[in-house]
Amino acid sequence: MSGTKEEDRKGSSEWRNFFWNPRTHELLGRTASSWGLILLFYLIFYLFLAGMFVLTMYIMLLTLDDYKPTWQDRLATPGMMIRPKGNQLEISFSVSETESWDGFIHNLNHFLSPYNNSYQVQTNDNCSPDQYFIQEDSGEVRNNPKRSCQFNRTMLEECSGISDRFYGYSSGQPCILIKLNRVIGMLPGKDSQSPYVTCGAKRMDSDKIGPLAYYPPNGTFNLMYYPYYGKKAQVNYTQPLVAVKFLNASLNTDINVECKINSNTLAEGSERDKFAGRISFKLRINDK
Amino acid sequence: MFEMDGEMDKKKKKKKKINKKEKMEGMKKEMDIVSKRQTPQGFRGLTSAFAAQVLERDGPNELKPPKGTPEYVKFARQLAGGLQCLMWVAACICFIAFGIELARGNVTCFDNLYLAITLIAVVVVTGCFGYYQEFKSTNIIASFKNLVPQQAIVIRDGQKNQINAHQLVVGDLVEIKGGDGIPADIRIITSQACKVDNSSLTGESEPQTRTPECTHENPLETRNIAFFSTTCMEGTVTTGMIINTGDRTIIGRIATLASGVGNEKTPIAIEIEHFVDIIAGLAIFFGFTFFVVAMFIGYAFLEAMIFFMAIVVAYVPEGLLATVTVCLSLTAKRLARKNCVVKNLEAVETLGSTSVICSDKTGTLTQNRMTVAHLWFDNHIHAADTTEDQSGKSFDQSSETWRSLARVASLCNRATFRPDQEGVPIPKRLVVGDASETALLKFTELTVGNIVDYRERFKKAVELPFNSTNKFQVSIHELDDPLDLRYLLVMKGAPERILERCSTILIKGQELPLDEQWSEAFQTAYMDLGGLGERVLGFCHLHLNEKEYPRGCPFDPDEMNFPTSGLCFAGLISMIDPPRATVPDAVMKCRTAGIRVVMVTGDHPITARAIAANVGIITEGSETVEDIAQRKRIPVEQVNKRDARACVISGGQLKDMSSDELDEALRSHPEMVFARTSPQQKLIIVESCQRLGSIVAVTGDGVNDSPALKKADIGVAMGIAGSDAAKNAADMILLDDNFASIVTGVEQGRLIFDNLKKSIAYTLTKNIPELTPYLIYITVSVPLPLGCITILFIELATDIYPSVSLAYEKAESDIMNLKPRNPRQHRLVNEALAVYSYFQIGAIQSYAGFTDYFAAMAQEGWFPLLCVGLRPQWEDVHLQDLQDSYGQEWTFSQRLYQQYTCYTVFFVSIEICQISDVLIRKTRRLSVFQQGFFRNRVLVSAIVFQLLLGNLLCYCPGMPNIFNFMPIRVQWWFVPVPYGILIFVYDEIRKLGVRRFPGSWWDQELYY
Repeated sequence: MSGTKEEDRKGSSEWRNFFWNPRTHELLGRTASSWGLILLFYLIFYLFLAGMFVLTMYIMLLTLDDYKPTWQDRLATPGMMIRPKGNQLEISFSVSETESWDGFIHNLNHFLSPYNNSYQVQTNDNCSPDQYFIQEDSGEVRNNPKRSCQFNRTMLEECSGISDRFYGYSSGQPCILIKLNRVIGMLPGKDSQSPYVTCGAKRMDSDKIGPLAYYPPNGTFNLMYYPYYGKKAQVNYTQPLVAVKFLNASLNTDINVECKINSNTLAEGSERDKFAGRISFKLRINDK
Repeated sequence: MFEMDGEMDKKKKKKKKINKKEKMEGMKKEMDIVSKRQTPQGFRGLTSAFAAQVLERDGPNELKPPKGTPEYVKFARQLAGGLQCLMWVAACICFIAFGIELARGNVTCFDNLYLAITLIAVVVVTGCFGYYQEFKSTNIIASFKNLVPQQAIVIRDGQKNQINAHQLVVGDLVEIKGGDGIPADIRIITSQACKVDNSSLTGESEPQTRTPECTHENPLETRNIAFFSTTCMEGTVTTGMIINTGDRTIIGRIATLASGVGNEKTPIAIEIEHFVDIIAGLAIFFGFTFFVVAMFIGYAFLEAMIFFMAIVVAYVPEGLLATVTVCLSLTAKRLARKNCVVKNLEAVETLGSTSVICSDKTGTLTQNRMTVAHLWFDNHIHAADTTEDQSGKSFDQSSETWRSLARVASLCNRATFRPDQEGVPIPKRLVVGDASETALLKFTELTVGNIVDYRERFKKAVELPFNSTNKFQVSIHELDDPLDLRYLLVMKGAPERILERCSTILIKGQELPLDEQWSEAFQTAYMDLGGLGERVLGFCHLHLNEKEYPRGCPFDPDEMNFPTSGLCFAGLISMIDPPRATVPDAVMKCRTAGIRVVMVTGDHPITARAIAANVGIITEGSETVEDIAQRKRIPVEQVNKRDARACVISGGQLKDMSSDELDEALRSHPEMVFARTSPQQKLIIVESCQRLGSIVAVTGDGVNDSPALKKADIGVAMGIAGSDAAKNAADMILLDDNFASIVTGVEQGRLIFDNLKKSIAYTLTKNIPELTPYLIYITVSVPLPLGCITILFIELATDIYPSVSLAYEKAESDIMNLKPRNPRQHRLVNEALAVYSYFQIGAIQSYAGFTDYFAAMAQEGWFPLLCVGLRPQWEDVHLQDLQDSYGQEWTFSQRLYQQYTCYTVFFVSIEICQISDVLIRKTRRLSVFQQGFFRNRVLVSAIVFQLLLGNLLCYCPGMPNIFNFMPIRVQWWFVPVPYGILIFVYDEIRKLGVRRFPGSWWDQELYY
């Protein structure tokens, strides 16, 4: 028994000696000068490494174009998104309860504020529709800043929030805004055919969805808003929108809606990406 | 207590009784069979046919292996190691995480499920591998056992045969001599001073006498039964009849005693496992720290748990154990091909640290056959060819004297070749006769020609064999010339006795009177040859007077009615057991490798010394105390012992020395020879060497050597001459009994130690670039650069082959010029190795990974500064329009695939750096340019394999969704290349510094 204790003591004193050896003045097995040298070595080593890292990063950044990403491997099919955006992509509200859709209204108002006609007219051009608004650089000379086309709030008509302050939510005919993700250089249609959005019910809900209205007409994203030249070149770019108004959706039931972009150039999105070239959301309108 | 003991005793007795009853009945029955079959002569044994029948009836004579741990338990054990448990926990965390996500209704994210499944797969696959390795190494050991099977001499059909002991059957007559294992339960029929060691059976430590008399009714007590698995310690030829075989033997019945192949873990495995445990502990520590940090920063509990798991997966070197086992068994196999059978894998590694080899002389250093080395005739010493394959130079054979000498040597010789050996080279033929006669027979067969014919021509009339009183041997022959009717008397014997009987001497064919001058010349030659440690024989002859001894004269060997004096001296022939051709080189190699070779022999000191000088154990110019005394003409006591490099100590002197004196002698004389030692003294010598801090390898063949073999750090038994007891006690068996094989073993041991170091360094390095992505991810909140599944692919797929390939690396050329390592100071995995791998090479690799990661991100639109702090938005499943640096918007899925691209890019960076790493690990001191890039073919193919596998993982369709590998841009393969070059150049600088400035700060800190 005493033997093990002694050994313990020996062991612990060994540890203590390793931690601080008063005889040789060694801390953790090294003297002060030894620690100094090794730390200096590592300091130089890591400074050098960090320097090399910074240098390679700098060279890498130099190779980058400021206006266009080197690769767009992941962005073959642009994503789609709706507004207003609740959690879980669920638009659920009661017609009679103002507070249940108040948030949506705020969200839409805020989202649409840059689309106000006054602002658009002031900053953007009135372009000729149904053709690409191409603004090429001439060689090294940048044609910057690039101009953007107006997308006026009034183009959303019923869903602009001007004629109906509540975007139809108060009357059980809600508007959903659909936007197509910005991708630099994307040309979403050819033969002056603009891509357009169609929405439909999924699975069993086709009889519940009722008639839909699209604004602008046919739910098109006009070709004049493309191509996009990036936020640096095209500072005031205004993303085109499509509004969908559910005119007579069934009440008190979940409706699964899927909206899709129809284009003659964009690739069909992969099965796994639920938001590439399409979007699904749930709509529920309660009457109480 | 006492009562219980009493009861126990009773029980034991009962059991014994039952046992005895069975046994006795059994014995009676067997005796019946045996007596019926026995022929009148009694010693013809069984017929082969009958033996075959009995063998079929009873099965082979071997113990069925004990029912060890069931296989499924072994397998389960492989799945429940410390590391594996950690992985199970990690998998559980993943499952829980997945479950919680699923319950939240988030069906899109199956990552955690995949990871859990992968982790379980990894555990199971590595478990299978470990199980397979264990299975295979058990098999290897078992097959080694078959390589050196127990042999038994059995008498069947009236002939002695050596057969495998497991073919013995009840009723067989077997012969046993000291050192043999008893092949079955046998009843002694004849014996001579036979003693057996029953300690394994009864625990009696004293050897027990065995005689044919039945002294007791109890088979365990009686003296005429020897038991299977015990060892015969002493005794010449003992004959016995087998009464029980296989599982019916006493030892077979006591099943618990029958020990199978032990599953003991080897020290190196323990060291490695210990190391893995430390790593696992560190991993848990790191993981827990970051768990706490993550919780503190504000991550959810579940997320923090996943971080914890990921860090564990990243930091633990999953493939290490497999790599080490494979490396060791590769070396064991390589050694087996070079005639070294290693019984435990650990011995391979210990061998490399050997600093003293205590070697036997006979058979190990020497060829174990007497060979004619020198001849003296015509007043000249002629050297004969002693090489094993007769490739040396011969002497001038033109002299008439030589012809006479050869004639005497050929005729006065009773040894004969065994029949049917025409195809065998002469030195290898089997001979009936004693050692010196054998040597002379082979020598004359080589020089004169067909001895059988030769003897035929000189018909033998009478013969008087050698005896110890006469110390000579005489025979009388007719001459081959039919016209010459004289008889020729030829005689050989101890030189001084022969000279006494001679009155003339043959010089250049002329018979000259043997005067003082010739007598002195003879004395000088005799002393010279004796001084070489050789056994000298004198030869003389006489043509008998035709008239006194006409044809048909009745010679009587007892009365010696022929002249035995006044003969004509022909010459001297001296013999020695010459050293093996490869031994001097091997001893030289040992010397340069800092290994002392100590000769321990039972032979005469002069012979021992001569052989020691011959093979280089005593170097040229080294003197013993006695030599110095003689040279300086001073008494031995006045010589300063420190001046003498060499020392020959005989067993008698050793007996009188205290252990301190022996230590002192070993310390002060680098070249030691122990002569006339007993096997017990070998143990004392080994202990003394170990007290001086040496790692000792000892060779041995006899039963009595086994304590020394066990005591030694490496016991080396002889495969041919060794007894079973020695083989059992040894760690290694030399199949060719050759000393040079030990040196090969040492070289291989050193090599594998170095290569294991390299392999482990290689394996450890990548843990840092696997770990840092998580640290950066957690602290800086960038999108995750490297996923867990990718890490597992690096650990267990792409990097396994290269790390194993380092085991094939050739030695850095100076491996046998270094001092043996001190196992207490130079550990396999030392601080310098870990620090260099982790904090230098690993750090460079991390930078390479991050450079490539940021490059891939930036080129796809995510600039580095944007990435910092991006994590919460990046990983937000509901955010489908996250803006990158160019204003483009990304869906979650697009970001996820971008993240997989990052994994792949980071993976590729680690791979590229690991290629550079495996190249630098080829050497620890030398420049890789000195080592040669392509000499290790396996390594080259491993690099190719690694690249191909990397490409397969990247570009095989379906990979993105199964294993999160993306087909990446070709350019990104080249981003880490500068860092790979940096690793290479930096390591070359390190090695240059280590080579140029040995002992400097640089060397101390950076040499691993």
